[in-house]
Amino acid sequence: MRGRRSRTWLTAYLFLAPGLLLFAVFRAYPLLEGLRLSFTNARLGRATYSFVGFANYMRLLDDTRFQVSLTNTFVYTVGSTVPILAIPLALALALNRGRLRTLLRSAFFFPFTLSVVTVGLAWLWLLDPVVGPFNYYLKAVGLPVRSWLADPHTAMWAIIGTTIWWVTGYYLVIYLAGLQDIPRDVYEAAALDGAGAWRAFWAITLPLLRPVFLFVFVTHIIGSFQIFGQVFVLTMGGPGDATRSVVQHLYETAFQNFFQFGSASAMAWVLFAVILVFSLLQFRLLRGHTEY
Amino acid sequence: MSDAHTEVGRRRFLIGTAAAAGGVAILPAGARRAAAQAKPTISYWNGLTGADGKVMDELIDQFTRETGIAIEQQRIPWTDLYAKLQVSVPAGQGPDLALIHTVEVPHFASDGVLEPIDDATLGGKGFRGEDYLPATWQGGTFQGKRYAVALDVPQHILYLNTKVMKDAGLVGSDGRPRVPASRDDLVAMAKQMSKGDSFGFAIGTVAPGRYTWGFQNLLWQNGANVYTSDLKRSALAEPGAIEVADFWSSLGGSLKISPPANASCRDAFIAGKLGMWIAGSWNFTGLRDAKVEFTVAPVPRLFKQPVVWTMPHQYTFPKPKSVDRAKRDAAWTHIRWMTDHVAEWTLKAGQVSATRKSHTDPRITGDPVLRTLLAQAPNWQAGQPTPKWVAAENLTRPVIESVYTAQKPGKAAMEDLARQINALPD
Repeated sequence: MRGRRSRTWLTAYLFLAPGLLLFAVFRAYPLLEGLRLSFTNARLGRATYSFVGFANYMRLLDDTRFQVSLTNTFVYTVGSTVPILAIPLALALALNRGRLRTLLRSAFFFPFTLSVVTVGLAWLWLLDPVVGPFNYYLKAVGLPVRSWLADPHTAMWAIIGTTIWWVTGYYLVIYLAGLQDIPRDVYEAAALDGAGAWRAFWAITLPLLRPVFLFVFVTHIIGSFQIFGQVFVLTMGGPGDATRSVVQHLYETAFQNFFQFGSASAMAWVLFAVILVFSLLQFRLLRGHTEY
Repeated sequence: MSDAHTEVGRRRFLIGTAAAAGGVAILPAGARRAAAQAKPTISYWNGLTGADGKVMDELIDQFTRETGIAIEQQRIPWTDLYAKLQVSVPAGQGPDLALIHTVEVPHFASDGVLEPIDDATLGGKGFRGEDYLPATWQGGTFQGKRYAVALDVPQHILYLNTKVMKDAGLVGSDGRPRVPASRDDLVAMAKQMSKGDSFGFAIGTVAPGRYTWGFQNLLWQNGANVYTSDLKRSALAEPGAIEVADFWSSLGGSLKISPPANASCRDAFIAGKLGMWIAGSWNFTGLRDAKVEFTVAPVPRLFKQPVVWTMPHQYTFPKPKSVDRAKRDAAWTHIRWMTDHVAEWTLKAGQVSATRKSHTDPRITGDPVLRTLLAQAPNWQAGQPTPKWVAAENLTRPVIESVYTAQKPGKAAMEDLARQINALPD
């Protein structure tokens, strides 16, 4: 009996082994190696390095550019969350029924099939202040124009707008899956009780979409804290440092400004801690389950 | 029909392969050695991602046809190329040959990424200092050792948009655009052309606000620099640099003569929305392809001296775990071949050579743009030979953009930048 049980365990682990091995080599090891490096003054290209304790973490307290990057990342996260939650939901509700829904779903999903670099380059040209079509059409209809990406007051919003355009289709599909999971008879029962569309939305749709919300919310927040591609292509963190994000600061510290792997690893672990705290908070806020 | 044909082909192929393998096995030892000594294939990394990349492809094809040496190129943007070199070379995965910018030589040499080149080898391959312009030859060395051999001299030049300047009445009696004689003249002319989304003057290909190479050009014209002459600390908080920063700020601000910080100056110039443009020499072949009506002039003297920014490309040997003599010789053969054929490179890619010989080639001196580029040679200047140059440049980019967009005053920005540069680790 005991032999059979251990054989079962062994079989299970043998099946899991390839996945575990990949996880250990490509996830766990880099993570732990990053943690170790964060306590050293390691620089790529230098054969030797030494243990510096918490010096890299302490330096972050004086690193004004890191603090600006962290603030910008928060601004992006907060500024993009409501539209990212609301716009795909509104579209999903509109496209849940209707004749052209398949065509429209595909149309909305299409931008998400593009890489971040393609999206960034396309919008960079669209928003070009001199030869870009965006300003051209604004001017044509008599609206004021500006250098959207070169103005510190609008650059972050231009990035948020680009991101919304890019990812809306992805979240739309997730919301649609959630909406189609809600049993029709719940709506029919509500209708019999005299509930209108608005009431049904608040009392049925939203509560039953809670798990989908949680997924969208958590993945978006995690993704927002890691924002890099759009910023790198559209503004390079500019104008000045107006849109510089934590990951960009980390990347430049590690790969452009002297390959300071120790400092960059410390930044990565601070970012990890921030994301972890926010993820736990979200799970706490949105935990629970609604059933009818 | 086609299936039968394929079947026969496959059978023939297998028989042929077996025969060839058998043939090799029974070859005499001498013939086998000759087969083993077949011309090697070398790996070559460069960042020639523009039109010059296509020219390099053509020349490499010609080189392979003539020498039998095949070259596998990896072409990636310069910034990524440098990060990749820094990571791959210590792991023994670097290329046999790499083309890099002069300012990258000191830090790669200092970090042991590049193999030093001794004088005997260099002389043996026919490379002599007197054949090169001094600044380009010197740019291949760091702390007395040579690590690189220069190919060409990308540099700034002033492009003048004939149509825009004609429309603004800024042409001479011969119908050619006027060339600004001083900074005041340039500003006055630029103001005449600036209206709405059209601008009179810009420095930089894209994103003029953060164009460090343009900022460096102005610094050097004003006798300032990024580091002090002993290379021990930043000189950017000194009055000469602050004066340049103030001018930089006025370009996008009070003077209103330059495009917004993130504009594509190249597209604006092509679209007829930019009159005078200081930009890299690598742009002119593209402007010709785009059929833009333009002329060129030497970079105008906007401050104390008419210095022209340059950034020579240098051939380097990334340090391998162990040197493959055949590949190293093949790489040298390629450098020699390119040096001998550099006139073709100049004519097609628009980059004048680091060696003097081709400078008298009538095909080159007959081209007005190339002639202007060559005429700038006495005023050429390149970055300072410190391993911290590139890191300082990366720090400079957002700071000068914040000056250009009036987020920070010039003096405070330069003081902050100098502080950041001085804090770079050794």
